[in-house]
Amino acid sequence: MTSPARELLDLPPFGLSQAEKRARLLPMLRTLTTHHAERCAPYRHVLDGVFGGADRLRIERIEDVPFLPVTLFKTHTLASVPDAEVVKVLTSSGTTGQQPSRIVLDAETASVQAAVLVKVAQHFLGRERLPMVILDHAGVVRDRRSYSARGAGILGMAQFGHRPFYALRDDMSLDEEGLRAYLTWAAGRPVLIFGFTFMIWQYLVQALERGGRRLDLAGGVLVHSGGWKKLQEAAVDPGTFRDRVAAVTGIERVINFYGMVEQVGGVYFENPKHHLQAPIYSEIIVRDPVTLAPLPDGEAGLVQVLSCLPTSYPGHSLLTEDLGVIRGVDPEGTGMGGRSFEILGRVPKAELRGCSDTFVAHA
Amino acid sequence: MSGTPPPAPHELRPWHTVADRIRVLAPADDAAGLRAFLDATLELRAEPFARVRLDTLGRLSAAVLADPLLRRDPASVALAYWLRPAQLARLAEEHARRAATEPDVLRVPAGRVLHLAPSNVDTLFVYSWALAFLCGNASVVRLSQESGAVVEALLRVLDAVASRDEELRATNRFVTYGHDDAITAALSAWCAHRVIWGGDETVAAIRPLPLPSHASERVFGSKYSFAVIDAERYAGAPGDERTRVASAFFNDLFWFDQMACSSPQVVFWIGPPDVSGGAAADFEATLQREVERRGFEPTVSSAVHRRSYAFGLAATTDVRVVLEHPGFVGVHVRDRMALDKEVCGGGLVRHVAAARLSEVLPFVDEGDQTVTHWGIDAESLRGFAALAGGRGLDRIVPIGEALAFDVVWDGFHLMDDMLRRVRVRGGDRGRAAARP
Repeated sequence: MTSPARELLDLPPFGLSQAEKRARLLPMLRTLTTHHAERCAPYRHVLDGVFGGADRLRIERIEDVPFLPVTLFKTHTLASVPDAEVVKVLTSSGTTGQQPSRIVLDAETASVQAAVLVKVAQHFLGRERLPMVILDHAGVVRDRRSYSARGAGILGMAQFGHRPFYALRDDMSLDEEGLRAYLTWAAGRPVLIFGFTFMIWQYLVQALERGGRRLDLAGGVLVHSGGWKKLQEAAVDPGTFRDRVAAVTGIERVINFYGMVEQVGGVYFENPKHHLQAPIYSEIIVRDPVTLAPLPDGEAGLVQVLSCLPTSYPGHSLLTEDLGVIRGVDPEGTGMGGRSFEILGRVPKAELRGCSDTFVAHA
Repeated sequence: MSGTPPPAPHELRPWHTVADRIRVLAPADDAAGLRAFLDATLELRAEPFARVRLDTLGRLSAAVLADPLLRRDPASVALAYWLRPAQLARLAEEHARRAATEPDVLRVPAGRVLHLAPSNVDTLFVYSWALAFLCGNASVVRLSQESGAVVEALLRVLDAVASRDEELRATNRFVTYGHDDAITAALSAWCAHRVIWGGDETVAAIRPLPLPSHASERVFGSKYSFAVIDAERYAGAPGDERTRVASAFFNDLFWFDQMACSSPQVVFWIGPPDVSGGAAADFEATLQREVERRGFEPTVSSAVHRRSYAFGLAATTDVRVVLEHPGFVGVHVRDRMALDKEVCGGGLVRHVAAARLSEVLPFVDEGDQTVTHWGIDAESLRGFAALAGGRGLDRIVPIGEALAFDVVWDGFHLMDDMLRRVRVRGGDRGRAAARP
């Protein structure tokens, strides 16, 4: 099946107002729901067992689109294409010790995914591939058969850079000498820096601060992703993070990125108001974590992500375990349409103590 | 306890070498004190149901109820209720009655009991310990290193009571330590009876550690529990009666996050299928009203956990998942054959229709513990227990009593474990009687 998202590829990635976007997405999400119900038996069972029956669904608004908990991809393989058509399997471990998610892509979904990622990334980074510094060690992507979610994230982003340089040594220390040499090579061109939020903080900002040193990356752009938990514990809020990055590197553009391997097409960069912005291929709903009722803007709850991309697996509507809040719609002055939001953290894992854990350590 | 015995070689008293790796939680003590305690209790002589010990437990009961945190925890209130003098007097009577049936048997304490407490049922370590204490034993109770607020509060209360109670202080230690077989082995060498609470994995991990050749052991493996309700009687019951059933079930379901061995995982609706469906739906609605009436707010973590679990069931088995009740998730199992015994916990109720109680029998196996029931006559329940027979089932009790502690647990009378029976026959009666 052709991905409905193809219809949107000629538009700028933030070029529809919220109302226009919802009108375009609704029939696409309906089509995807039917498509997956016909081709993915476990998905159909969920529609029958949880949503009152695949044949009796009434999807009148985007909020009516059935969803799957994102963790279902850790326990079940959900595919809407025959094995022979699978060209790529994305895996993500999430938290240590958990089973990884398995996401199957066919040629169509993989190609639209790549196109959408390029469109969204170029909106923020421009068309030119910039010299790129990756705040990690090269080992994290060395073995392509077994690389982690971190490695996968890095490889996804690395395509937007030119001759990426891995700025950490294997022991996670900052290779300042190598980095300075790379910047000399870059000869004053703006540099793209990418890394995971806590690693940027710990191995770049704090490392430089401790040594009382600065790097000159003025004019560069820093893209960071991953949870804030460790920074929250150190009482570092996003504003402080940006200020301290600017102080040691001169970087004024710091862009947070949110996304998950389970939903291709759900790529969210921070808009100029420092809120994550949903592109035209995707919608965000925030629901009450217990009742699941959709919440009004400004109220915190569980984040549901919807995407008109995936045709090879039923990932067009997923209930995440992330807590978030809608911050605005078609935010003024950004030139961008759609909802903007903020991620507040993750729901802590239920600590259900089985009768078996008295003496046996569990991962 | 007179005089410290002469020091013995370490191989005979292995606890001497591990005591500094054990943290004593109550009564406050250090490694040297713990060593002295373990040595001294080898010589302990006490009698079952001594007045002084009954009084101690009575004070403990009052202290639990006076604690601001514990008095709000229903499971701790139930514990305090169980420890109150009138209830203990009933236990003492039961002891006396059992003794009277065997006049030539003297019951003496087993001596030293090592309790390995479970981490899923906060209050259980106190029951296990209190029985040992009542029976005249010395105890070491090992608790999990990651205890919650309730366990911490219980230990605080125990410590406070012990500070004014020489008997309690001299004969008991509540301790914790990491997953360290050497320590468990050393404490096992000390004990005369070892109780392992905590499920299959714990039993498998601890059981290989040797006990003294004269010591005994009781283990409690993982168990599974469910409820049975007569669908027609429930459907025909007046509203306030149905509310009482749901209210009783509320305790069974939500105490200890539905993770205790006795927590019901399934409700079997006994009756015609057309009645069962409606009865189950009404039961869920009534239970939700009870959730709201009590102001019970499920944590987001358990809501997310049970919902994900239910979606997983829906993806692979023929079930109908009811998400509309915020307090819990209902999973209506259409294909009984697909019913497994995996435990979700955190408020997930599976409903299964069965035309007759006997249809539940194939589901029963050795790992089953408690059947809670409503609306079913006593004769049918006894018949059910008899037919299940050796295949399992330890308790069949009314809905609302799933988590109630009972001295008969998993089929064993715990007082029998804590006491030794000494048969005394013959002897010259006249001379003893002549003494003042």
